[in-house]
Amino acid sequence: MKKSRFKWSNLYLILVFCFLYIPIFYLMFYAFNAGSTMNKFTGFSLAHFGELFADTRLIIILLNTFILAFLSALIATLIGTFGALFIYYVKQNRSKTLLLSLNNILMVSPDVIIGASFLILFTTLGTAVGSLNLGFITVLLSHIAFSIPIVVLMVLPKMQEMNDSMVDAARDLGASNFQVLKDIVLPVLSPGIIAGYFMAFTYSLDDFAVTFFVTGNGFTTLAVEIYSRARRGVSLEINALSTLVFLMALILVIGYYYISQDTGKNNSKGGGVK
Amino acid sequence: MKQPIISFKHVVKCYDDDVPVLKDITFDIEEGKFYTLLGPSGCGKTTILRMIAGFSEPTKGDIFFEGQRINEVPANKRQVNTVFQDYALFPHMNVYDNIAFGLKIKKMPRDVIDQKVKEALKMVQLAGYEKRGINEMSGGQRQRVAIARAIVNEPKVLLLDEPLSALDHKLRLAMQYELRELQQRLGITFIFVTHDQEEALAMSDEIFVLDNGNIVQTGSPVDIYDEPINHYVADFIGESNIIEGIMLRDNLVKFAGKEFECVDEGIRENEPVEVVLRPEDLDLTDVDHGKLKVTVDTVLFRGVHYEIICHDEVQNEWMVHTTKKAEPGSLIGLYFDPEDIHVMRFNESEAEFDARLDSYEG
Repeated sequence: MKKSRFKWSNLYLILVFCFLYIPIFYLMFYAFNAGSTMNKFTGFSLAHFGELFADTRLIIILLNTFILAFLSALIATLIGTFGALFIYYVKQNRSKTLLLSLNNILMVSPDVIIGASFLILFTTLGTAVGSLNLGFITVLLSHIAFSIPIVVLMVLPKMQEMNDSMVDAARDLGASNFQVLKDIVLPVLSPGIIAGYFMAFTYSLDDFAVTFFVTGNGFTTLAVEIYSRARRGVSLEINALSTLVFLMALILVIGYYYISQDTGKNNSKGGGVK
Repeated sequence: MKQPIISFKHVVKCYDDDVPVLKDITFDIEEGKFYTLLGPSGCGKTTILRMIAGFSEPTKGDIFFEGQRINEVPANKRQVNTVFQDYALFPHMNVYDNIAFGLKIKKMPRDVIDQKVKEALKMVQLAGYEKRGINEMSGGQRQRVAIARAIVNEPKVLLLDEPLSALDHKLRLAMQYELRELQQRLGITFIFVTHDQEEALAMSDEIFVLDNGNIVQTGSPVDIYDEPINHYVADFIGESNIIEGIMLRDNLVKFAGKEFECVDEGIRENEPVEVVLRPEDLDLTDVDHGKLKVTVDTVLFRGVHYEIICHDEVQNEWMVHTTKKAEPGSLIGLYFDPEDIHVMRFNESEAEFDARLDSYEG
């Protein structure tokens, strides 16, 4: 009886997801087109993928983008985790709220503003120091900067979940500050840290505006490259690339799902003995 | 007397606002005994424990451990371990790793750690639970893991911060026996913090009764129960009838409009006092044989005894615990021996109280 019941909520969900995914699938569909435009599907072919792999410039950009995301997320996670720790241990409530608000403002302020401000900073620094060229380093620095608030936001709730008397207990058992951090605090925070890393990674991966501002001649990321190629008229090579990136994102999401499930299991089952 | 293992000398503790949580506390803890800090919440008992553990420092005064001043020694350098109220077990480690934590920090060899963890688990009756996760265990089991994690380090003093308060009644009683037995087997000093007077009476060698940042009375459970120093202690520990009276002379006290023989001495003649009579010391009898004539108001069945509330001719209320039954509204007699009466002076300090008791009890 219940199964056949029509539900508005289901229809709603289906429509929303269609709206969100149809453009992507449409784009992916034409990646397999034998023709060279998106006007008409003339037959199945992997030719565009072939073109893509032959295009070394694009492959290098792809690699650069991933290296950038990997590094910026790593450094942002390090800085952000300790930032969350310090914010948590700020005693005065007012300064704590202030710090958190400052953190959140960075989260909501538009990328264009962040990008423009970094551009101004880097060019000023460049004229002052004289050796700061816009390129990989400047992009990396700005990506780290806009990822840190995300990591703080993911780690801080875990910190609040953590029982303070656990820290007392560890100290009571003889642990130094460093051992408390290494053996108690970081393991307890790890789900938040992992989530923060993945968020920072994806933010870096799909950032366009900030990168567009602060990159120079020698270095571009995928988002910027696709944008500039799309302005010249989209070649189906881009469709092929997007398909691959989408699949990669899918794998990442699945991977994250399994990692979070695993840590959840560890929490409740205790894992094995070392 | 041996050198005390822990001494507090005029310790004062204030938190951010300048209201002292502890007001000039001085006491000694001897080795190998079971101590209880007893008092209502907010009396400062947990603050004392945290200062012994090293989680907070006294604002004034000194703390000594085996004669050494330890005010500024951090928690991880002290030879005491704590069992926390919420256990504070590490959820990302199994039972073995939780218990081995302190030993691993001390860099003991693996086989020694294995051996000690096994012994500790056996001691708290959890042998074979090494690989369990913390979240798979019941409250009572977690409690035992927390105790094992502390005693495996062989501390000189074990601190227990209301460790039984989260357990149900039956389990709590069982754990009281186990803790007492464990303390006697290990021979180390236990300092137990609780607001539950039954726990304190059942387990301790020595009880410190605290009120509002002061130690009000120190003594064995029997001393404190039979000879409470003042109204507060008498009321807090056990049930009691506290009646105002006048000490006519040594061994004679007047209350409820009559004169009674008692065994208290050293109080000025005609001094106003308070008299304590424990409900279980009062016996029901007929009106002619009773020392007091009372009318029964209510009778409550409590399982092991009846709790009878009655009032005398001058409207003092009396609580009686007895196995005999009485009818509400009836007139009965209450009988008690001179030894059952305990007389308390107003505002007597503990030193004066002890000196007075020593003077006639010998």
